[in-house]
Amino acid sequence: MSKKDATKKTFDNILLTLEETQEKVGYLPAEFMVELADSLDVPVSDVYGVASFYSFLATRPPGRNVIRICKSLPCHLKDGQTIIDTIEKEIGVKPGRTTPDGRFSFELTNCIGLCDGAPAMLINHNVHVDLTPGKIASILDKYK
Amino acid sequence: MGDITLTMNGAAISGREGMTILEVARENGIDIPTLCYLKELTPIGACRLCVVEVEGSRMLVGSCHTPIAPGMVIQTHSPKVLEVRRVLIELMMASHPDSCIVCEAANCCELRMRATDLEVGLPRFRTRLRYFPLEDENSNIIRDMSKCILCRRCVTACYNTEGKKMFSLAYRGFESKVIYDLDKPVGSDETCRDCDTCISLCPTGALRQPIKFGQRKKGPVLYVKG
Ligand code: SF4
Ligand code: FES
Ligand code: FES
Repeated sequence: MSKKDATKKTFDNILLTLEETQEKVGYLPAEFMVELADSLDVPVSDVYGVASFYSFLATRPPGRNVIRICKSLPCHLKDGQTIIDTIEKEIGVKPGRTTPDGRFSFELTNCIGLCDGAPAMLINHNVHVDLTPGKIASILDKYK
Repeated sequence: MGDITLTMNGAAISGREGMTILEVARENGIDIPTLCYLKELTPIGACRLCVVEVEGSRMLVGSCHTPIAPGMVIQTHSPKVLEVRRVLIELMMASHPDSCIVCEAANCCELRMRATDLEVGLPRFRTRLRYFPLEDENSNIIRDMSKCILCRRCVTACYNTEGKKMFSLAYRGFESKVIYDLDKPVGSDETCRDCDTCISLCPTGALRQPIKFGQRKKGPVLYVKG
């Protein structure tokens, strides 16, 4: 694909367009997806299908800080579930939700390439590895 | 006579260039079970039920989408193949709701038919169940995504009367789901017409027509082992 093709909007490079908006707006608003689908002449369910596949594309407005805990096998085997439960208790919302004060969004993600430090999570773009329930509160404290 | 010769279950058979293993097998009266495959459409390769053993291949190959090659040596019903097919069905059953006894499609459910054919008993375990609310607002279609086995037949086959595709696949892994619009229930005012295409193709009871019990019923009275 030439550079020019890559900037032309087609369904093949839809991911670029989605990422662009994610970067600019922070999430992918429904109206945006509908418009994009119309302009590419594909059903909006196809656009949503792509958007929902990727953990780093959001379809709802995120909180100020986005927590992403890995749910893939290596982290799972290192008891990632306990970390998920601890965070849930700590911030009071379940994965997939945002706290009412907008401080945290809580997402689960597939492997983020930090398996050597499993269980691992990202908060915004910061890496936190070798997590234990005891470490969680002080980590969360750093994010206002 | 075709122009490519190969060996299937020990017998020399032949097919024409561009045919898939499945097509050649069917032409020669060998029944390879399939779930996602539809004769008229591009193979999707989603369900893996059609796998066969090909000599020299490290893994089992999907017969519905693998073209034949000269000299291929294929086993369609070896113990290894049957074991894999059984596990696949068992996995589908393990995440399927236990509602067969009251399911509209029970007498013509392909999942159930395959399970019977392959002599898969009750699943030895349960996987995470996928429960979704029933979508019954539309007057032409009822969707019960809890029963969906993600074969994608409806996704591929649907072009409604306006030439628009209704369904797509969304999410990922355990969360995968066939969605409508922005993952909304098919509402009452939707463009879905009563073409019946997806409903007639759905192998399970995930898609059905809103018929009241006691009315017209599809398929044979009771499913008997085939
Ligand atoms: S709804 Fe039916 S046809 Fe569509 S993917 Fe699910 S099982 Fe297959
Ligand atoms: S499995 Fe968790 S980071 Fe790879
Ligand atoms: S029939 Fe070949 S993969 Fe489903």
